[in-house]
Amino acid sequence: MFGLLEDAGFKRVKSAVVPRFRFRRQSTQNSAEAFGVKAVMMTAEKPEAA
Amino acid sequence: MTNAADTQASLELVLKDEIIRMYEEVADNPDAEFHFYHGREAAELFGYSTEWLDRAPAGAVNSFAGVGNPHERANLRRGETVVDLGSGAGLDSIVASWAVGDVGRVIGVDLNPTMCLKAQAHADATGASMECHEGRMEDLPLPDASVDVVISNGVINLSFQKRKVVEEMFRVLRPGGRISITDIVSGKQLSQSIVNDPKLWAS
Repeated sequence: MFGLLEDAGFKRVKSAVVPRFRFRRQSTQNSAEAFGVKAVMMTAEKPEAA
Repeated sequence: MTNAADTQASLELVLKDEIIRMYEEVADNPDAEFHFYHGREAAELFGYSTEWLDRAPAGAVNSFAGVGNPHERANLRRGETVVDLGSGAGLDSIVASWAVGDVGRVIGVDLNPTMCLKAQAHADATGASMECHEGRMEDLPLPDASVDVVISNGVINLSFQKRKVVEEMFRVLRPGGRISITDIVSGKQLSQSIVNDPKLWAS
């Protein structure tokens, strides 16, 4: 996602992990962790000159 | 169309139906247990204030299926125009409408016309200035450079065409506009068996 935002022209792209996100079921959480799945918050700006 | 394109188009249609089915189930059976946290429990987990959750209609709170809190960094200001991609039962749109006030505008966009009606009803019940448009996030039903802020909570990951979604967000934003989104990302390439399984993809 980070790369897609930059490719589209967004500037000041920032991301951080949502610290409290997890799946309810432990089996799903385990699978998610195996695939590096996580929730993130992202902010970005469209340049004034765009 | 090539075979690959046919397959992709077919998968997208099945996925659309599965997404509609799953999130209608959350809205219609909020007491059911899903593999993700939802409702007030999830909203509290992600830092939605008690004041917001007490003030919003129970239907919007109970059907909340976000993965974080896009308001935390949105810095919404009075008078701004906000788009909520995948507005669902409307909680994020309603919270946004309180921030932008009656001189601002909040536009929800959702694939599912039934959810749009629910969100609209929830917003109307609180006097929130929200309008919901049925539409796809890959083809937003909005003019170029017409909004100040795009918020979204856990829906962009559901799209097969994420690049197109990002390009659409860029198109509808005014110069100087911004996004504040929360979503699910994967650090590894998902296996083809997951990609080809609409139930897994929609979840």
